[in-house]
Amino acid sequence: MSGSAADDIRHKWPDRSFHWTMAVLVVVLLGTAFLPVLGLRFDWVPIHWISGVLLTAAIVFHLYRAFLVHGIRPMLPTGHDLRVALGRAPEDGAVKYDLNQKLYHWAVAATILVLAVTGCVMLAKIDTPLWRRDPSILSDRDWGVVYVCHGAASLLLIFFFILHVYFAFLPEHRRLLAAMVLGRETWRRGA
Amino acid sequence: MEVFRFSKNVWGQEMLLGMSWDLLWVPVAAALACIAAHQLFRLTSRRS
Repeated sequence: MSGSAADDIRHKWPDRSFHWTMAVLVVVLLGTAFLPVLGLRFDWVPIHWISGVLLTAAIVFHLYRAFLVHGIRPMLPTGHDLRVALGRAPEDGAVKYDLNQKLYHWAVAATILVLAVTGCVMLAKIDTPLWRRDPSILSDRDWGVVYVCHGAASLLLIFFFILHVYFAFLPEHRRLLAAMVLGRETWRRGA
Repeated sequence: MEVFRFSKNVWGQEMLLGMSWDLLWVPVAAALACIAAHQLFRLTSRRS
């Protein structure tokens, strides 16, 4: 018996919108962070901080969805996930995310949270139309720690980003890619 | 290869500036290594 069209939706449109908003902002943030390092000179700071603020707002939206709409239970790794990953238990078709997806999600979540928190602190170092810079909120040593955390997390994010793109385009994961674009796990309408 | 970047403040004290960007190739190389390992795993598990 087939369910309704709504039952076939893996990711609802607010969650897909969050994903692609985050994807675009992460590309912009990584580009504005590292292209100047690679020698491409442009006024990257305004683009970087505005994208960072937008990403922080998107994260707040995602946290609202995660805690108050979906609940975080579907994303928590379980002993059964581990047994399935080790081949000691059969795959459960009703489970939305496997162990690798859950671990990847939490690793990226921790990385992005470090970036967002340190990035928000670093906003105190720049003048914007909304506030004046005030670097005196931290000592030089503490600013160094903030910059190290932000830099280390951004390097880690490059690693996760490349792996995410690779796994998204694997043939066996194309249904997941379709679900993140269209909501349903197929590119064909009505399939 | 340096892990961190340092500078000197007006009093000549060493200040931590952040991560060294010499490390930029490390996450790219690590990701490519993981991809190669995964492709190898797929190939060997398909044959067995």
